[in-house]
Formats: sequence, structure tokens, C-alpha cells
Amino acid sequence: MSTAVRLDATSLDRFLRVLADAREVFAPVAATDGRVEFARVRGGEGVDSSRMLTGLSPKGLFFPEAEVLFRYDRGGILPVESPGGPIAVWGMRGCDARGLALLDRVFGSAFQKPGDERFEDPYWKSRYDRATIFGTVCPAPLSTCFCNWFGGSPSSTAGIDVQATDLGEAWLLSPVTAKGAELLMTVDDLLSPATARDVEASREIALRAQSALPPPPSLEGLEDLLTGVFHEPAWEGIAAPCVQCGACTFSCPTCHCFDIQDEDRNGRGRRIRAWDSCMFGIFTREASGHNPRALSTQRVRQRVMHKYSYFPGNYGEMLCTGCGRCVSVCPVGFDIRNVLLELVSGAEGEGR
Amino acid sequence: MTIGSELRDTARRLLSEGTVELVIGWRRGSRPTAAVPAFVTDPEEAGSLVFDGTCGTNPAVYFTRDRRQYSGRKVGVAVKGCDARAVLQLVMENQVVRDDVVLIGVACPGVLDRRRVALAACGREILELEDRGAEVMLRGAGFETVVRREDVLSDSCRGCPHPDPGSVDLLLGTPRREAASGEERERRVREFEALPPAGRWEATLREYGKCIRCYACRNVCPACYCETCFVDQNDPRWIGGTCEPTDTLIFHLIRNLHVAGRCVECGACARACPTGVDLLLLHRKVAVEVLERFREEAGMDAGARPIMASFREDERQEFIMG
Amino acid sequence: MSNAYLPLPMRVARIAAEDPARSLRTFDLVFEDPADRDAFRYLPGQFCEMSVLGRGESPFGIASSPTEEGFLRFTVNRTGSVTAEIHDLREGDRVGLRGPLGNWYPVDLFRGGDVVIIGGGFAFTTLRSLLVYLLAHREDYRTITVVYGARNPGLLLYKEELEAWAGLGDPGLRLHLTIDRPADGWVGTTGFVPGVTKGLAPSPDGAHAVVCGPPVMIKFTLPVLAGLGFPDDRIFTSLERRMKCGIGKCGRCNIGPRYVCIDGPVFSMAELRENPEPV
Repeated sequence: MSTAVRLDATSLDRFLRVLADAREVFAPVAATDGRVEFARVRGGEGVDSSRMLTGLSPKGLFFPEAEVLFRYDRGGILPVESPGGPIAVWGMRGCDARGLALLDRVFGSAFQKPGDERFEDPYWKSRYDRATIFGTVCPAPLSTCFCNWFGGSPSSTAGIDVQATDLGEAWLLSPVTAKGAELLMTVDDLLSPATARDVEASREIALRAQSALPPPPSLEGLEDLLTGVFHEPAWEGIAAPCVQCGACTFSCPTCHCFDIQDEDRNGRGRRIRAWDSCMFGIFTREASGHNPRALSTQRVRQRVMHKYSYFPGNYGEMLCTGCGRCVSVCPVGFDIRNVLLELVSGAEGEGR
Repeated sequence: MTIGSELRDTARRLLSEGTVELVIGWRRGSRPTAAVPAFVTDPEEAGSLVFDGTCGTNPAVYFTRDRRQYSGRKVGVAVKGCDARAVLQLVMENQVVRDDVVLIGVACPGVLDRRRVALAACGREILELEDRGAEVMLRGAGFETVVRREDVLSDSCRGCPHPDPGSVDLLLGTPRREAASGEERERRVREFEALPPAGRWEATLREYGKCIRCYACRNVCPACYCETCFVDQNDPRWIGGTCEPTDTLIFHLIRNLHVAGRCVECGACARACPTGVDLLLLHRKVAVEVLERFREEAGMDAGARPIMASFREDERQEFIMG
Repeated sequence: MSNAYLPLPMRVARIAAEDPARSLRTFDLVFEDPADRDAFRYLPGQFCEMSVLGRGESPFGIASSPTEEGFLRFTVNRTGSVTAEIHDLREGDRVGLRGPLGNWYPVDLFRGGDVVIIGGGFAFTTLRSLLVYLLAHREDYRTITVVYGARNPGLLLYKEELEAWAGLGDPGLRLHLTIDRPADGWVGTTGFVPGVTKGLAPSPDGAHAVVCGPPVMIKFTLPVLAGLGFPDDRIFTSLERRMKCGIGKCGRCNIGPRYVCIDGPVFSMAELRENPEPV
């Protein structure tokens, strides 16, 4: 892979403006009420590269809260045109980039039918495939971060095309993929070669962040262990405080459940898909009124099982990157880490 | 003796005596800025209960979740002033049997707003919080600061009309907070009303533009318990599921009207919102209107009829009579 | 890039009411585009998502067999807003169709042996597809036993065809219809499907069973089959869950780690017993 380069901190604005001339650029932007969220930018103004985590994950850039699947009128279906054009995302954390890579596995062919084009989601693919992702190394984890539980780290490169480290007076940009290297070449008049000291400094930052993370618990065989405790009464107590909203689901970088609805006005309209959550009471309620997951205990269990047992059983990876948003956003303080530890120790206690 | 230790003793006693089989209260969670709901069935576990300004959820919500799973069981519940009114409102609406509930009132100093607390720490992560009454101590990696409670108080509590829980079975702590003046309660409502229509529309769009339709507000609210919420109905489909302004605003406006006269302005909705939408403003506006028009407030008298379900001939009817 | 979310345009060619109350209607659909028709290959057990644009989509098992050319048959039970709209359709109206979706009854596994088909109520739709398919490949299968029951005679689907099959004079095709309780004009068997199956006692040797019906029927039929000696990996059923995308993306229709829309709707009992989530 080509060598790392250096971007002066004062040149970030120009860098983003040059990128924005040729593509859609997204970056974390600070709002007046203290929130930082990914938004489209034309330059560096308002960009906050230092906030550890945006409120919502960047999955909304490629899998929006609501999107039109097609329009129709009395003549029939009118497919939507995908706008095309390259995309760049600045300032993504490793956990979020890994989350997008996981979603790409879901929205790509179904795992049961690898390579079967019919199971590719064209709405996701058409956007994600044209994106170049800049991932920023985390300088210090939050108390809610647990990326290292599932193979992540503050300097993880999964799902990232260019890794960026904030050295203070400059950014170190290391291409991770050919796509990333190509993008850097288009702006290379803004860049200078990185010095050995730059590279060393970036390594120190990554190491320091890594060692600040508490060591992960042993979760060997978690997916089978959870299957083993599926019928345990412990789930009732675990689910008790949950009020079944979608705050965790919607802020999570890997949750992807969606609803499909038609919106009609006198014979013309559109079919949309919108974020949905397995936590909602009516998620699995059938037209007859029968609901296989009528109780909140069953739904809380479904969320945990899907992310930490079913998905890894099918895809070989956890459907969680330990970003910790669910922990900080939950109105009732549900902490998935404690839940997993409780279930694991319960299973071990029973000698399973 | 702090309210927290009184609460622990009370819960321990009620459970060991068999007066209740469950106490719903709060305990410390992973985040120092927000206590989390606790469900204690074993007197030995009563030691986990706490009470301070981080206890911002409304425990009355658990009486209307999951087909009223606690109905028929004797349950003790720790309630702030607003929470107690919420339970009484549910009694009025036949969702809770008053005799099945032991209301453990706690004299509430006002709930802290997590976002204001975060701003007070200048965005640095808070690892410890100590509620010292008039002041709040915040500590994190490499910093410690003390802020005034009034600077980080939730809006709901700044204008709180009934801080002391009424009609409770027990009252812990010394009620020492005065109800906010009507002026204080209405201040932000009047400020908003003073904006010109275009300004109000712009502010509304901007605020509700943050909404992601996660329904945390609806789901933490004790008053929202419809089997099928209007947003989820398909036949007819009242509103769309997108975050487009029309869809989002209609959701919030209709929810506001559905809880009119039933909302106790606890602010749990605003605190639950992951994107910080200022939900309380409209709820307070409606509560103030209800008080003006009907001279009543939600959850004040368990024996009364719900405000919007009753009619008195002497009510203001200027919109009919002109 | 193909787009599995776009429905194919279809026209309603024929509508038949199955029951006197008209809560069950059978629709024959034809493809508007011959290229779509030629590309559509399916096997018994699969389903499609039928769209009424503006109202929504609903999944239905394909009741026709791939051996019946030129049309796709679906029987729709009127239960919700989409099915109500479908029931209001007339011949010539246009609908959308996405499919074929899901997996199918393992007809290759069944080859050379007996097949026992047990159905209840309006769950007989994909069983019709299976039966017609087996009959069209008659020499590949030995004895075909069909037990089909409904609450009352009016609720039996495909009554004319049931008569026709009974009248085929095929000694290896045993058709047993039953209704729950005696009814005027009914001279056939009375009794619940599990009991009737037990009485018939089909042999498990080299046989596979397919059971589709209301949960209570399945619940009581499975022990009967087990008692007769059918092992779990030779008993199949077709399951339902609320569905949206039909292609394993929206996360709604899973039973444990299996998605009803891709890993199913056809499952063997052996697979279901391995599944932590109850059906």
C-alpha cells in the first residue's frame, strides 16, 4: 500500500472543499445544542473532528431513515433513478466503519445465496460502493466504548479506505485500500509526505487509546452459549426496565430492520422503506392479530439473540461493533455489556 | 438521613412485611448522569435503591406496559411529585387499582438535564456525578467542576407546578421545594408565543427536524398506552413513517392532543429523546391551556373524572358562543 | 443491478370464491410481460409477495404447480387491509408480484417413495401445488395419501378439483376429506385431522410427510406422525410470519436464526427442533 501522507490542520477546510467540488462529502458537524451529527458539507466550516461519537451512526448516509423504493402512477411502476457520483465521508470512527462493512454483508447477497444478484440491495449498494471512507483513529475511548469485545480497536481499519490520525498540527492520512490511495492522489497538492515522526506519533496515539480500553471479557462461544440460555427466566429481569422504543436500534451502526409502506394519493404515489425496530410491540404482529413476540421479554431477547447469536451463527461475526451508543442513548439505561456478562456467567454457573 | 436511605429502609420493610411483592424505584446504572429503573422483589436487594436528581424516568410507565403485567399484584413505587400525579391519572383512567399500589412519595429536588450537565462539562465525558442539592459536582478524566443546580435543571422542573407528591401513602424527605410560579412555568411558552408566526414555524421545523421517529418519547410516557398507537395503524394509514416534516409534526401534534389534560409535565419524554428535541415546550403549552380553560390539572384527584372526558356547564365556551 | 423490490406487472385473469361467505378467494394471475413469464421458474412450496400499489404487499403461497403453464394461482384469505383490497379486485385489474420467494418442498427427496400430505383449512394452498406437481410426475412417486380437513364443508378449498382427484381411479392416490363436526349434506368423514390421520395410519417406510394448517392442527398431528414412526427429518411444514421484504434483509420474519422468507417457509421438523425460538 502507498505511503502515508500529511495534511496540515489548517488545510483541512481546503481539503474538504476540493473533495466537495467533485463529490458529495459528509462529515461530523456540530449543532448549536451541543450535538454532533454527520451532515453534507462543502468545506471545513462547522466540522467537528474531535467529538468521539456522533449522536446517530453514519448508517443513515447509505441506509436513510426513509427512502423511496419506487414511485407509481396509473401507468405502472416508475423506478427511482440513483443519482450516481462519488461520495466521501470524513471523520468516521472505526466502530462505525466496521458497522457499515457488516451492513454491506447483509445488503449484499444473502449469506444463504452468495453471489446471487437477486439478493443484492441496489439502494444500499449504489451508494456504499461509491463511497470513500476516512476513518479517524480514536485518541481515548469513552467509558461506554467496548469495540475490543468483538475484534475492534481504536485504530481498526475494517471498512475504512483512508485512516486519519489527528496529530494536532497536522493529520496523518494512511491509505488502507486502493480506493483510498486513488482519492488521495487527486488532492496530492495539498499533501506532503509523512515523516517518520508523524508515523511514530500516530502509533503512540493508537496504542495509548488501545491500552485505555478495559480488557474484554472472555466471550468464547457466545453464540452457542446464548442459545443454551434462551429459555432461562433471567430474561424477564433483564427486560423489565425496557420500554420498547427504538432509540437503541436507530442509533446503532449495525441495526437494519426496516418497514415497507405504500403512500398513495388517488392512484399515484410511492413505496417507501423506513427504519423499524424489533423492539416495537407490533413488529411481528400478523394481520390475524397473532403476535409470536407479544411480550417485551421476548423482544428484548430477540434483539440480544439476533446480534450475538443468530447473526454470528449465519455470518461469522457479531452484529455489534461496541460503539456504545445504545448504552448512552437508552432512556432507561439498559447496558448490553452487563446483560451479556450476566447471561454468560449464568450459563457458566449452570455448568453449560 | 437522606431520601435515598429512607427509600432503601422503606422498601426493605414493605417487602419483608409482605405489604408489597415488588418495589419499583431507581438504582445506579452505567451512566452517572442518569439513574435507571429498579425492580426489587427481594428485601436484600433494597440496598440498591437510590434517589437524587438523576432519577428522571417516570416509573408510572410500568403500569401500562406489556398488558399491564403488574395488575393484580401489590406493588410499591417510588414517585416524585409528577410521577405520583401520573399514577393517579392512571387510577382515574381505570388502568391502575389504587389499593394495589403503595405510593412512596419522595420530596424531589428537581431532575437534572443530561444535556445541560454535558454542556457544563464542556463536552468532556462525565465519569462521576454527585448531587449535593444546590450544587452538582461533576468529575471526569482530568477535570472536576461544581455547577449550580439551577443551571442544569430540566425545563420540566424549572417550571414544576407540583414538586411535592400528593395523595401518597408515605412521604420521604422534607418537602421543601416551592411550586414554581405560574409565570416561571409559563415563561418559555410565552417566549415562544411572542415570536412572529414565521419565527414560530421556523423554530418548530428546526426543532422537530431532529426527530428520528424512535418513539422513545411515547414509550416512556405513562399516558401513552394504546394497544395500537395511531402511528402504527394501517387502515386507515393516518400518517407516514418518514422523518419528513409533515409526517413528524403530525405525529407530535397529535400525540400532544392525545395526552392533553393527562400529561403531568414530568419531562420524561424530553429526557428520553436521543436527539434532544425540545418536546416539553408543546406539552407545557397544552397543560397551561387546559388549566386556563378548565381550571384543572392532570392527576390531582384520583376520584375525579379525566379532564377531557368530562363537561361542566360553567366551562369557558367562547369559541362556541363567540 | 436487478432490483428485487420492484414488483412484476400482472393481470387478474380469473377469480373464484372458495367459500359461501366469500372470505376466501382464488385469483389466477397472468404476466403482462412474456419475458417475465418465461423467466419465472418455481417449485411447490414457494411464495410470492402480491402488491396492490398504494395499499401494500402481502405474501401468499403459490397454489398453482409449475406444471400448470401460463398462470399463477393464489388463494387469499381476507384478514387485513391489503387482503381486503385484493378481494375487491376484478378480472382485468392489475397487481404487482415479487417472486418466486423462499424455498420449496423437497420433491427430489420424496422421489421413489410415499408422500403423505396433511392439510387444514386454507393452508392447503401450497399443498395443492405439491399435489398437482406429484400427479404430473406420477411415476416418480409411490403412494400419495392426502388428509385434508376444514371446520365445515364450505371452508374446503378447490372443491371441484378434490372431487376430480377422488374420481381419478388411481389406487395409489388416497384422498381423505374430513370436517370437524357433522354437517347437513356431508356424507364423508367427520373428525379432526390428527385423529383421521391416526386412523389411516400411513406407513412411514420410505415416506415423507408434509403438514400445513393452523398451529393447533399441527401441534396435535406431529405426535401422531411420530407415533407412526415418521422421524423428524421426514416431516415438513410451511411456516408463516409477518413479512415485508421477502429477501432476508428487513429482519422481521426470523424464527431464531432462520428467516422464513429465505431459509423457509418450508422447514423440516428436525430443523425446527434445533431452533431455540418456539414456532
